Amino acid sequence: MTTASLQTPKVAAMQKRPSARHQMLVRQARIVLMPLACAFLMLVFWEAYVRISHVPAVILPGPLVVLATMAEIYPTLLLQAVPTTIESTIGFLISCSLGIVLAVLLCYSRIWREAVYPNLVLIQIIPKIALAPLFILWFGLGAESRLAFSVFISVFPIIVSTYEGLTNVDPNLLRLCRACQAQEWQVFLSVRVPSALPFIFSGMKVSITLAIIGVVIGEFITAQAGLGYLIVASSARSDTPVALAAVVVLCGAGLLLYGIVTGLQSIVNERYSRGGSR
Amino acid sequence: MLDMAAEPAGRFIEASQIAKIYETGGGVVEALSSISFDCAQGDFLSLLGPSGCGKSTLLMIMAGLEPATDGRASVAGEVVMSPRADVGVVFQDPTLLPWRTTLENVLFPIEMMRLRRSLYRDRAVALLEEVGLGKFLTKRPHELSGGMRQRVAICRALVHEPKILLMDEPFSALDAITRDQMNALLLDLLIRHAKTVLFVTHSIREAVMLSDRILVMGGRPGRIVATEPVPFARPRAPELEDTAEFVALVARLRNAIEHSYGGHRAGGGA
Ligand SMILES: Nc1ncnc2c1ncn2[C@@H]1O[C@H](COP(=O)(O)OP(=O)(O)O)[C@@H](O)[C@H]1O
Ligand SMILES: [Mg+2]
Repeated sequence: MTTASLQTPKVAAMQKRPSARHQMLVRQARIVLMPLACAFLMLVFWEAYVRISHVPAVILPGPLVVLATMAEIYPTLLLQAVPTTIESTIGFLISCSLGIVLAVLLCYSRIWREAVYPNLVLIQIIPKIALAPLFILWFGLGAESRLAFSVFISVFPIIVSTYEGLTNVDPNLLRLCRACQAQEWQVFLSVRVPSALPFIFSGMKVSITLAIIGVVIGEFITAQAGLGYLIVASSARSDTPVALAAVVVLCGAGLLLYGIVTGLQSIVNERYSRGGSR
Repeated sequence: MLDMAAEPAGRFIEASQIAKIYETGGGVVEALSSISFDCAQGDFLSLLGPSGCGKSTLLMIMAGLEPATDGRASVAGEVVMSPRADVGVVFQDPTLLPWRTTLENVLFPIEMMRLRRSLYRDRAVALLEEVGLGKFLTKRPHELSGGMRQRVAICRALVHEPKILLMDEPFSALDAITRDQMNALLLDLLIRHAKTVLFVTHSIREAVMLSDRILVMGGRPGRIVATEPVPFARPRAPELEDTAEFVALVARLRNAIEHSYGGHRAGGGA
């Protein structure tokens, strides 16, 4: 009896630790499972609504019909996904290079900073999508116009975030560089660029989604190929299940590209984010 | 101390009539007013005073990192116009590059000064081993404690073999126990690497423990209110703090600091 009563608090403490760990697992599982459950529930409602109300498939097909369509025409879907994905990637890469170069110019040239930066901010405000038809006029019906428009709408986040990253360096580090008699190109390579990397990558995350939007809008208008073309073409034929199937694949392609950028970002942040420097 | 044919004795570091006025949007701050002192080669000189009395400003002027409004700072007989290669600076904040390892952080000044890394690598490793960080060469700053980071910063200030070390409250962010350890470590380090040191602190005990001479500063505007030589022989052990002479000197310095307030306020530095 005495030994048992002595052990009780100890045993309780030992049981508490795995249960705390268990609670954490449950919490992490909830983070993943709750949104999935919500999305699944919405799909169920959608399917139920379509079946009960007898909406024609031309207006709104149920998720199961969309799934069946995807299985049926997947070679077409994949074929059309290829140009969209490639052009989005190229547009994004051009935006990154161009945006970083412009940000460096802004960082080092006072005239650029004073004369150009306010205009860049102003261009941000105008609804850039309104200019899409003009890009077709200027660049023709080929990939050039889609790329140009994609770069046009996705370059700004890169410029702004890179500029912020290059200029918002810890002033103590800059003072250290001065104490070491560093030249500005050394400060740029050894301090500004590494400090800016996390900023650049958060700009890239915004930019990649905009690059895809730019290409898809280009495809809507040029109507040559790609998932955007498939969506407008099948909508025009009232083939709604195909249009929705193309939207689903577009989401998949978008998630893939976004996922790659996010993956690279987490690698970069692990090393270059300011966390715990002091 | 005897190889000073080049510089006049007692004038290895010299400040003469230094004044500093900061002009900000809010107004004008007179941070320093007619500061003059000098320091012989190999000496350890402390600037002791309460927060805001202009200690950092004065040190940054001596380092060539901040221009003086008036007066002149000189080092080794030359007027300080910009940062010098024969000076190493330790800031209050360790200011390590978070993406670099310990060893790469120590070699940072070598790279910035465009010297050959390979020539200094062994010295950097030896310094880090001396301060007990031999096992942490490839760790990054967030994996080190506050005291370890400041030790890295000290090695970084020493790696290019400067003759002069300028230190701005390097241990003020550390807990009392770590701070005592760092004081002992610095005393030990300076036995093997003879440097002329200008050391800023707001801790009276730290100043007495480390220095050959202490300049007491008062604020508004920052000025020197007293100069105290510290007569204790080296090497100094932590037990020195318990001697009557040490306690008496601490009391005298506290008095000088309180007088700098006009005697109205009690308890100056921490
Ligand atoms: N960059 C600055 N601009 C304006 N005022 C400053 C600046 N740096 C310091 N000061 C002012 O100068 C005075 C002395 O500051 P500082 O040298 O940092 O003192 P301490 O190091 O002794 O605490 C303070 O009143 C502070 O507010
Ligand atoms: Mg200070």
